[in-house]
Amino acid sequence: MRWSGWLIAVAVVASLCWRFPLFHVVPLERAAKEKAAATFDPKAFAEKFWNDQLLTSIAKAVKAEVLLPAIQSNAAEAKRKYSRSIGVSESYTYFISGQGRVLAVNDDEVSLAVTEGATNAEVSLQTGLLFSNAMRDGTGLLSVNDYPNSQDFNAISEALNRIIEERVLPKLRESAKVGAIISFVGCADVNDESTDLKPLKVIPVKAEVK
Amino acid sequence: MQNLFRSSLAFVLALCCQTNLSFAAEQPAAKQKIAVVVSTLNNPWFVVLGETAKARAVELGYDATIFDSQNDTAKEASHFENLIAAGYKAVLFNPTDANGSVANVQKAKAAGLPVFCIDREINSTNAATAQMLSDNYSGCVALGQHFVKVVGKEGKYAELLGLVGDNNTWNRSKGFHSVVDRFPGLKMVAQQSADFDRAKGLEVFESILQKNPDIAAVFCGNDAMAMGAYQALVAAGKADKVKVFGFDGADDVVKLIAEKKIAATGMQFPKVMAQKAAEFADEYIKGKRDFQQKIPVKVELVTPENVSKYGDYGKKN
Repeated sequence: MRWSGWLIAVAVVASLCWRFPLFHVVPLERAAKEKAAATFDPKAFAEKFWNDQLLTSIAKAVKAEVLLPAIQSNAAEAKRKYSRSIGVSESYTYFISGQGRVLAVNDDEVSLAVTEGATNAEVSLQTGLLFSNAMRDGTGLLSVNDYPNSQDFNAISEALNRIIEERVLPKLRESAKVGAIISFVGCADVNDESTDLKPLKVIPVKAEVK
Repeated sequence: MQNLFRSSLAFVLALCCQTNLSFAAEQPAAKQKIAVVVSTLNNPWFVVLGETAKARAVELGYDATIFDSQNDTAKEASHFENLIAAGYKAVLFNPTDANGSVANVQKAKAAGLPVFCIDREINSTNAATAQMLSDNYSGCVALGQHFVKVVGKEGKYAELLGLVGDNNTWNRSKGFHSVVDRFPGLKMVAQQSADFDRAKGLEVFESILQKNPDIAAVFCGNDAMAMGAYQALVAAGKADKVKVFGFDGADDVVKLIAEKKIAATGMQFPKVMAQKAAEFADEYIKGKRDFQQKIPVKVELVTPENVSKYGDYGKKN
């Protein structure tokens, strides 16, 4: 009787361990793959975001012919109406689209006149190394609240800037000649209300010579 | 006779009740308590953070107590156990470790105690009620750009890291390197942790300086380490040869920037974050529940050119 009791207890424990194992033996290679899959991949994320969300949202950018006069007539009101900002900050971003005539080209920028007959640069397309969060924050499509570790959120900025540097800027630098007409969509990062917005410095997500 | 006795008894009881009530009305109601748990008080910046949070909570009508975790997650856990048992109504929390502190916040949440993180984040978006965080990454992107402008596109430099378990350490380092690493002529010859500590900063940088006497600059993950590095440079007679970059906006560093002895820092606005966190706690206690999980607070670059605008752990009015 005693033995049968023990046997039943062992059988119950064995079946519980079989049903709910205390540990799993996993091959090292599979464990490494699973860990890599669980780790945030900013490049893959940025690639998907670029194709699936960013390029499909460019119609939402405010038109340059609306934004630029609004800034000149009342910068604070333009900020309130068209900008985005994150958290507690004096800086903000604009998501802007438009068309302009190339006035000048140098190492780090292509200067454009957007208004008919303008002789001073109104928009400066940034073509040097990019370090801004403008593309990540400017469209309002991404939120810091979706990332438990803000290092992941920050890595998106860097990955998006690399995509622009590799895919958008080389073609722009090559095709931008004085007098050419360029249509553009991009984001502008404004440090604070004292920042000189003549011209508005725009990081282009899209720039094509007409 | 019996009726007279009953009436007298009722009268005495009524009188007692009334007396008690009026006595209770005269007593000030016990204030609700808010806890301020700070990673360390061995750094003036965190002292300002903790004291400001406490002062704002007191201004809002609470009893506030500061708990020093001494950069030790075990001490921090013990503080949380004590304050949960002691009936605090909210915690203003500067975590010690982004991962290691999550369990403490979850424990508080399970006990119905709201936690508001200040300056440092925890790696969870569903434990704290809200997190007021310095935008360290962007601040160090700006600092990195200024570094290249001041040091040039070529030269050797060293980096002092903060606590390796803290996200701020890596957000700062990654923000800085996202700029500086784009310039192949800038070579990092040493990268070591000094735990955000001034004495360790001095000790670690002395050793780096001995091995690398030709470095042009040092980037420090906070101002306490920058002060330690600057002290090491003064002792070695190299204070005018090696450029020091800090991060925090501590008063002693801001003063040295004005004297052109330290190149730059990032102003983090500890007072703004601490006050806001205390106000959030007050709003929670009064019934508000819809808080944004993460609220980044912009970090501003402080250089000799704009240093006159800054002081007392913030921007001058």
